[in-house]
Amino acid sequence: MRLNYPTNVKIIRVPCTGKVDTIHILRAFEKGADGVCVIGCMEGDCHYNSGNFRARKRVEQASHLLEQIGIGGERVKMFNLSSGEGPRFAQYAVEMTERVTALGPNPIKLARKRAAA
Amino acid sequence: MTAVNPYNKNLDDRRATFIEYPQAVPLAFAIDPKVCIGCGLCENICLAKAVRYADRIKESALRVGAVILSSGSEGYDPSGLDYFGYGRSPNVVTSEEFERILSASGPYRGHVMRPLDREEPRRIAWIQCVGSRDTNRCGNGYCSSVCCMYAIKEAMIAKEHIHGDLDCTIFNMDIRTFGKDYEKYYLRARDKEGVQFVKARIHTVDPIAETGDLAVRYVDESGAIREEIFSMVVLSVGLQIPRASVALAGQLGIELNKYNFVATDPFLPVTTSRPGIYTCGVFQGPKDIPSSITEASAAACAAGRDLAAARGTETRSIEIPDEIDVSGETPRIGVFVCNCGINIGGIVKVQEVQDYAATLPNVVYTDQNLFTCSQDTQDKIKDKIKAHRLNRVVVAACTPKTHEPMFQETLQACGINKYLFEMANIRNQNSWIHSNDPPAATRKAKDLVRAAVARAGTLHPLEEKKISVIPRALVVGGGVAGMNAALGLANQGFEAVLVEKEEKLGGLANRLTHTIEGADVGAYVDDLIRKVNDHPKIQVQTQSLIVGFTGFKGNFSTEVLVGPGMYERKIAHGAVVLATGAREYQPKEYGYGEDPRVVTQLELGARLAEKGAGDLNEVVMIQCVGSRNEENPNCSRICCQSAIKNALHIKAENPDANVYVLYRDIRTYGLLEDYYTEARAKGVLFFRYSPERPPEVVAGEAGVAVTFEDPILGRRLQVSADLLALSAGMVAEDTEELGSIMKLARNAEGYFMEAHVKLRPVEMATEGVFVCGTAHSPKLLSETIAQAYAAASRATTFLSQSEMTLSAVVAQVDADKCASCLVCVRSCPYGVPRINAEGVSEIDPALCHGCGICAGECPAKAIELNWYEDDQLLCKVEALLEGVL
Amino acid sequence: MIVADKKPIEEIIETTRNFKRLLILGCNECVTVCEAGGKKEVGILASALRMNALNQGREVKIDEITLERQCDHEYLEEIRNVVDQYDGILSIACGVGVQFTAEKYQATPVLPGVNTKFMGATEKRGLWVERCQGCGQCILATTGGICPVSRCAKRLFNGPCGGSGNGKCEISKEVDCAWQLIIDRMKALGTLEDYEKLSPIKDWSTDRAGGPRKVVREDVQL
Repeated sequence: MRLNYPTNVKIIRVPCTGKVDTIHILRAFEKGADGVCVIGCMEGDCHYNSGNFRARKRVEQASHLLEQIGIGGERVKMFNLSSGEGPRFAQYAVEMTERVTALGPNPIKLARKRAAA
Repeated sequence: MTAVNPYNKNLDDRRATFIEYPQAVPLAFAIDPKVCIGCGLCENICLAKAVRYADRIKESALRVGAVILSSGSEGYDPSGLDYFGYGRSPNVVTSEEFERILSASGPYRGHVMRPLDREEPRRIAWIQCVGSRDTNRCGNGYCSSVCCMYAIKEAMIAKEHIHGDLDCTIFNMDIRTFGKDYEKYYLRARDKEGVQFVKARIHTVDPIAETGDLAVRYVDESGAIREEIFSMVVLSVGLQIPRASVALAGQLGIELNKYNFVATDPFLPVTTSRPGIYTCGVFQGPKDIPSSITEASAAACAAGRDLAAARGTETRSIEIPDEIDVSGETPRIGVFVCNCGINIGGIVKVQEVQDYAATLPNVVYTDQNLFTCSQDTQDKIKDKIKAHRLNRVVVAACTPKTHEPMFQETLQACGINKYLFEMANIRNQNSWIHSNDPPAATRKAKDLVRAAVARAGTLHPLEEKKISVIPRALVVGGGVAGMNAALGLANQGFEAVLVEKEEKLGGLANRLTHTIEGADVGAYVDDLIRKVNDHPKIQVQTQSLIVGFTGFKGNFSTEVLVGPGMYERKIAHGAVVLATGAREYQPKEYGYGEDPRVVTQLELGARLAEKGAGDLNEVVMIQCVGSRNEENPNCSRICCQSAIKNALHIKAENPDANVYVLYRDIRTYGLLEDYYTEARAKGVLFFRYSPERPPEVVAGEAGVAVTFEDPILGRRLQVSADLLALSAGMVAEDTEELGSIMKLARNAEGYFMEAHVKLRPVEMATEGVFVCGTAHSPKLLSETIAQAYAAASRATTFLSQSEMTLSAVVAQVDADKCASCLVCVRSCPYGVPRINAEGVSEIDPALCHGCGICAGECPAKAIELNWYEDDQLLCKVEALLEGVL
Repeated sequence: MIVADKKPIEEIIETTRNFKRLLILGCNECVTVCEAGGKKEVGILASALRMNALNQGREVKIDEITLERQCDHEYLEEIRNVVDQYDGILSIACGVGVQFTAEKYQATPVLPGVNTKFMGATEKRGLWVERCQGCGQCILATTGGICPVSRCAKRLFNGPCGGSGNGKCEISKEVDCAWQLIIDRMKALGTLEDYEKLSPIKDWSTDRAGGPRKVVREDVQL
């Protein structure tokens, strides 16, 4: 479809969002990611029944932790869509980029800069 | 050159060179000769030299053993129905147009807008039965079967897409949501989402010029004329057979019925009048997606029988060389970067990416190609793998969805394990979507290659275990479904063991006399039993009970207690077909069981066959007894036609008898509609009742007094009936024990749950287990037969492999780390992990579906999913974020 | 098993804020089963604490080790050689593990990472319920298998109090009256006539009221 979305979105393939562990999400922020999306099937339509429900719980857990440690719980979000909805994916990618841009860079990056200064 | 896009129902444009829609197979461009101006530019530009500009239609001859006609339908064109405003106002659309408006890849990109002024509608009306159940303005007297459900779906989805309020009203004569769980969807739409359902035939739709709205005029149930204003009107157009199909049938010498659907015998639902030619889908009769898919497999089974003797004679097999053991070696990664013509190369600096790849850890060879997927590039890659002793390959190109399997075959052809392969998608996820920023696209391509190379370094060979397949199926249930499934399998050369708990075969069909078409069920069942008993490949075990079940796809072992002596027998088989059937509901209401004059439709049918109808003067029938209520919210599908069948029988023998049918909706779907029309013509009286005010029944000396409301007169009527026939619905057979022995998923009403409602209607989630007949959901005899063929077909596809290769993407438990906490056992949607004799969790690779849920849940991190291990995913995260902090 | 629940991360951040080299020590037994302190949780906590430190511009080294158990010397021995690399240990085992680790490695502060709650069972995934309070003298044989020590708010031994209503305890509508459960159970077992038999006054010296307890088995000691 050649729809455009920002270049800073990079994708890692998993067989089901049920495979995405909380630690994978946290490690991304630990290494400096500004935002993480977990993208899975529509609720009720998970190819493996309940994978996306599990993923949602883990995203919520990660979000809570990130909020408590001052990174920002809004930086991780779960999106549900069907594999036929290309335009919707692009829309979510844009939405997430805008949201994360508004939140600013990962605070760890700024803390690093200050420490180096 | 642009043209109006017929796929989007002429709502937008497309080019003369076009791909019809994103899911087209093959996903390739075509040239529309009607719009093409003949410049030939496309042929010159194509870097793959894929355009044959002077291509002409070629005729060729094929010798085949069987033919299956699945030419489908077209939507009814309502242009001739001037009173609906179609053609006068663009805001009156057909349901097909509305589907495209709703679609995210349609002309409005999923924004629900009305065509005239692109405004978001506030109120939408659906008008049902446009081009169906109508012999007045068009010749389609049948019911198209799908329009009630799709109108409800469109209303629900439109409400979801429009974030403000949207009022939806569906104007109908009957709501026909008769499929499995469809009634529940209807109730959700009505009660939870507020979709309105109004019983009325629309008289006129007038466009209102000032606002673009539409005035819909109709007569409501009280007789008052109402007018309502809507932003849009959707005409629920029916399905009809295109002229081209009629012509095709003529050429092939196939008989069609009066509506141009293929004429079939109720006991041979996919067989046409010409031997060797079969049919399926809407060409056979109007039907929904699950039934179409089922019939497709049924036709394959019927054709398969004809072709059984020739199985395998024209297939080719591929030789794969032995795998080289690379397990001790350090990774030697080869990176092949693709230009994909100009798709990648036109945006991304491919040479830069290739040079960058050469600097990455473990990369010993890099290359670039114009089209990495072409056959000659495969040969080139094979040479390079061998020359440079590569033991990991990264291809930076398009999406793995297109060519990953092919590249994996290339690796296998060099003796490299196919799981030592990784793709970086620098096209769909890069050049195609960042065409406005090439420098950023090149940077991102390098990031993606770096991540792929990091992952390639962590990959290790995975074994795809091979398991043998026992070419025998166990069929559970000896009714019409089970017997047809057994024959379907046996006629294609596979053994079938048929296990039946009763003494006789035949199941519920033993209580039926004739189908509504007049076909003799008794004779059919006797013949079927004879065929089954005589077939050398079928073993019949009656009075048998299943008590144990182990194994996995291709290798099951079932313990059966056979006969009154209950002797134990172990059956080894490769597949299971569930055909446990259903029973007629035994009513608790309306005096059933207390008065002999209150009977069910099955009992009435038997009574009519025995004693006839000569002594019956007043017969009342009550529909939906035991269905569509709180206890059983589903529709039992067959009762409307069952009642009408008996009503017509009574009228045929005794034209002066009064027959009253008290109904909620008459669901004579598809070609059954004609019988409803015939019944009305013959003077059968139909009265609609609402479930809040059901008929009252008092059994008296003179007769059974039935009191009910006539909605048109607005008054209560009473009939003193000689016979009260209750259309008792279907209830699933009790399969609780069988379900727990064989770990079978059942829904709340006790019917087996198929793997996917639409796309896998005869398969269970456990591989190798299939389901058919009323064990799946209530259905007619002919639908049961079709589904039994379909289950047999899916089972034979399964059993026809001499060995099965299991995917290597399965989860594995490290026994040393396992804390035996049971979390994985509880989280797996398929119930695969179990605590073994050593007290730790064990996952059978033959059963694992490879989703990774258990790996994510395990609190002890004792489970890894092959090919998606934690470090194999985390290395990508770290590689992508390299240098950020 | 021993059921514990995760401590709020804010609390853990507060108690570990002065450590520059922290070891997070997990346990592969009870706390893994109740999903509060296994290897997975160790990883999640470690990552969160690292990020918290980085965010505040602090340099910290946070390592992760999960032992089979923290209530046996042999398993705790496994970290003897590395213990002095850390100025603090966050043990996410139950209270037993935290203390045993602290006793063994007296020179290193050992902090708890979970709140140990009770001895209980998994009623279903994500729901653990208390069943035993270790009173030291089990009388379940006389109460149809239902414990009035852990399930009766007043620890009554001879039938319900006047606050029992509709099978619920007067302290909360969500708490079953243990004695109602006992009566129902004994009825189902057909042993209701035993209900009338009076239970003698309990010797609470075997409960924690008698002071910290131990179990000695001379038959397995040489």
